[in-house]
Amino acid sequence: MTTTPEQNQYDLELKGITKHFGSFMAVGNLSLSVERGQFVCLLGPSGCGKTTTLRIIAGLEEPEKGEVWIDGRRVDDDPPWVRDFAMMFQDFALFPHMTIRKQVAFGLEMLKRPKEEIRRRVDETLATFEIGALADRKPDTLSGGQQQRVALARALITQPRLLLLDEPIGSLDFSLREAVMLELKDVQRRLGISFIWVTHDQNEAFSLGDLVVVMNHARIEQVGPPEAIAERPRTRFVAEFIQGNNVFEGTVESVENGNARIGTPSGSFDVPVEDAPLLAPGAVVTFSVRADILSTRPQAEHVNRLEATCNAVEYLGAIRRYDLQLEDGRSLKYEQFRSAAARIKEGERVSIGWRVEDGVLHASPSAPSDEHRA
Amino acid sequence: MPPHQHHRMSTVRERASVSYLLALPATLWMIGGLIVPILFIVWVSFWTTREFALDNPLSLTHYIKLFDKPVYLKLVGHTVLQTMVLMGITLVLGYCMAYFIVGKVQRDGRKYLLIFLLIIPFWTSALIRTIAWIPFLGVNGVINQSLIFLGLIDEPIGIFLYSRTGITLAQVSFYTLMATGPVVYVMRNIPPSVLQAAQCLKASPFHVFWRITVPLTLPGILIGQLLVFLNVMADFATAAAIGGNKFAYLGNLVLLLYDSGQLPFASVIAVVMMVCMLAGVAMMLKVVDIRRLGAL
Repeated sequence: MTTTPEQNQYDLELKGITKHFGSFMAVGNLSLSVERGQFVCLLGPSGCGKTTTLRIIAGLEEPEKGEVWIDGRRVDDDPPWVRDFAMMFQDFALFPHMTIRKQVAFGLEMLKRPKEEIRRRVDETLATFEIGALADRKPDTLSGGQQQRVALARALITQPRLLLLDEPIGSLDFSLREAVMLELKDVQRRLGISFIWVTHDQNEAFSLGDLVVVMNHARIEQVGPPEAIAERPRTRFVAEFIQGNNVFEGTVESVENGNARIGTPSGSFDVPVEDAPLLAPGAVVTFSVRADILSTRPQAEHVNRLEATCNAVEYLGAIRRYDLQLEDGRSLKYEQFRSAAARIKEGERVSIGWRVEDGVLHASPSAPSDEHRA
Repeated sequence: MPPHQHHRMSTVRERASVSYLLALPATLWMIGGLIVPILFIVWVSFWTTREFALDNPLSLTHYIKLFDKPVYLKLVGHTVLQTMVLMGITLVLGYCMAYFIVGKVQRDGRKYLLIFLLIIPFWTSALIRTIAWIPFLGVNGVINQSLIFLGLIDEPIGIFLYSRTGITLAQVSFYTLMATGPVVYVMRNIPPSVLQAAQCLKASPFHVFWRITVPLTLPGILIGQLLVFLNVMADFATAAAIGGNKFAYLGNLVLLLYDSGQLPFASVIAVVMMVCMLAGVAMMLKVVDIRRLGAL
């Protein structure tokens, strides 16, 4: 592909978006850039501002501050029907009075395409999404899965640069979700457009997203590929929200050779400081260690050590999760593959260890987040 | 909703004989208070004499009289025309009010306040509401005084009271709410996401209104228009009070004939009105399925 200087590199850019509902801050100074053809997941608990962010991109909400750029064009003064995007709603928002054929044609009719072209493209789209057999039916006679396909077909027929999806599989039966996720990912790759997918389900975000944006309290906590979010949680919130992390809080005792020694109620541990060179003794900090990186047979390199007793065992498909109790009463999660031989029984005492570099020091909660460039 | 799921309203089993008993009082009431009198009216309309007698000879005499005399047919025409005018005005006014209340008033509290304000006049009887219009419409009434005060006219004009304009003004004030209510109800049931989805599919507000809002509120529009239709057709009090004795509709004719003891002919007019109304209801039901109103 040749790239000309005029050609825009981003499908979407948000710059310093702020939005309040009354005194409640829904989105606070949020900036995000989405390169061409990326699958972006906005992940966070309910009320974190992810849906409001999506609606601001769509123009359904007006931010007080900030800029919205879609495909290199500033659109924050444009109403939704002028912006170049499509949207899928959580309840699919199909038009109750229109047949499936009419729904799918709606976007093209609004763009005033010639009748002949509309007919041809609707037929193609109905075939692509395998909903041709439903063409003359009304939405209320369709199953959830069928409605979802119709909503997708209706959104994509106008060939937008950007598709916004608000919890698009949240209302589907659990058994359907996996297949629909794979299909949506496939559609996104094939069309090469960007998807902005809002979800509170980290499994969805991690299996779909090229880029995961973790949000909390109106702000972005961390942006990165799924591996980075899972392995290097930037803040305490991310570490706790993403399952499988053990979070420790403590006071910095000393900083030497790029490592901080942090005293916690469960003991003192060495953690690399990396991005926080100004860390001073006495500072209260948090860090996390992944539950699946712990060792139950500590070697010399596992300098951080703990003694624990096994409380309970959970079987989660491919992995086995142990709930361990530390000597100070706190609990610690430990995960191993089902195939691992070294099983621990309930009530058994184990030694736990991890390497210095396995610990991840968190940015302090009040630290302003850096600009998020994706 | 899949067809096999039924809402269970009570613990009474469907088709249990006790459930028929529950419907019995209302059924008896309807038969005694509605069906029998209607059949009686139909029967009377075929009488040839004015006196009650079981062996009264039946004939079409009075029906022929109705269709024979232009004055009666003109009255039918006036009644239908007045009904159409009212339906037109209340449709536009009522829909605008509903759209404003549901679509533009943001806070629920204000919505309820507005609906409440609309209902307040209906706390008084129809007769009082009608009579209350007279001081407004008269030669020295509020409307004339206001127009003079505003300098729009120099001396009172007599077009308001004892005129079709006056009757129409009063009827619009009585019946607009009937056109508004069902639209408010149906419009409130439209999920906001449906309208937003249309916007996201590049529909301008104009197209959202004509392609989505209007079709989805059509059941409410038709129900409201049906209520207006039935009420204006049957309204004689407004014409009597505000029209003086200068204007009459079918309802006034029934009253007039009844007062002068012409029961069979009064019954003929009643039957004709009933047929008009039933035809109107049948037409509406063809377009909108009332049973599905709540399922939007």
